[in-house]
Amino acid sequence: MAITVDPQERELRALERVGRWRGRRILEIGCGDGRLTLRLARLGARVLAIDPDAGQVRAARAALPRRYAARIQYRVGSGERLPYHAREFDAVVFAWAL
Amino acid sequence: MVHALREAHRVLRPDGALIDLRPEPEHRRIGLGEGRSWRLVGVTRESLDMDHAADRAVVQVLRAGLFSRGTRARFLVEREMDAMEDFVAWLTDCGQRRMLATHRWLIRRLRRALAARAARIVARGPVRLQLLRKLG
Repeated sequence: MAITVDPQERELRALERVGRWRGRRILEIGCGDGRLTLRLARLGARVLAIDPDAGQVRAARAALPRRYAARIQYRVGSGERLPYHAREFDAVVFAWAL
Repeated sequence: MVHALREAHRVLRPDGALIDLRPEPEHRRIGLGEGRSWRLVGVTRESLDMDHAADRAVVQVLRAGLFSRGTRARFLVEREMDAMEDFVAWLTDCGQRRMLATHRWLIRRLRRALAARAARIVARGPVRLQLLRKLG
């Protein structure tokens, strides 16, 4: 049994078209199991990914490939209250989360 | 939602980008097969209230002068499922957030279609990517 979301990677191509990601510090809100997070890391971004569901965050951490470990951090958290400094991120991505 | 957008504005550097990526407020089309061999079996019946509320929240922060509207794109995203169990699990997960009906009729119709033709179950729906540029 398996579910594959966006096998054609159209999201990735749309993200590529809207801007430069390499080296950028990104906050991803609603990362779920990290599907989009990995795609952002593939584009070269450094991603802090949050989700209110601790189970999903655990699953995302467990599935994090070693090659992206330095570029991705997963945390439990909600977009309604961000414990981060003002002006800390180059981009904020609401991943199917707004 | 407006509060989350205001929080995003706060943590963004000047001229930073907010990317709003989410399904368009449309019911998803469920079918069998991939690519050109895909055949429609049924259309979901979902609550689109949250989608419309998110649209209103975006309009509110634009009117408040927090962001300006940037690039916008719309494209089709597919969710491929190997087995009926995957589809039922997905329906159950969505049901907690946006599905209105139980979709038993759709499960029955899919079972009949699968009996006639072995194929993956594929849900299709348009997704919107909208870039908002931080002002101020």
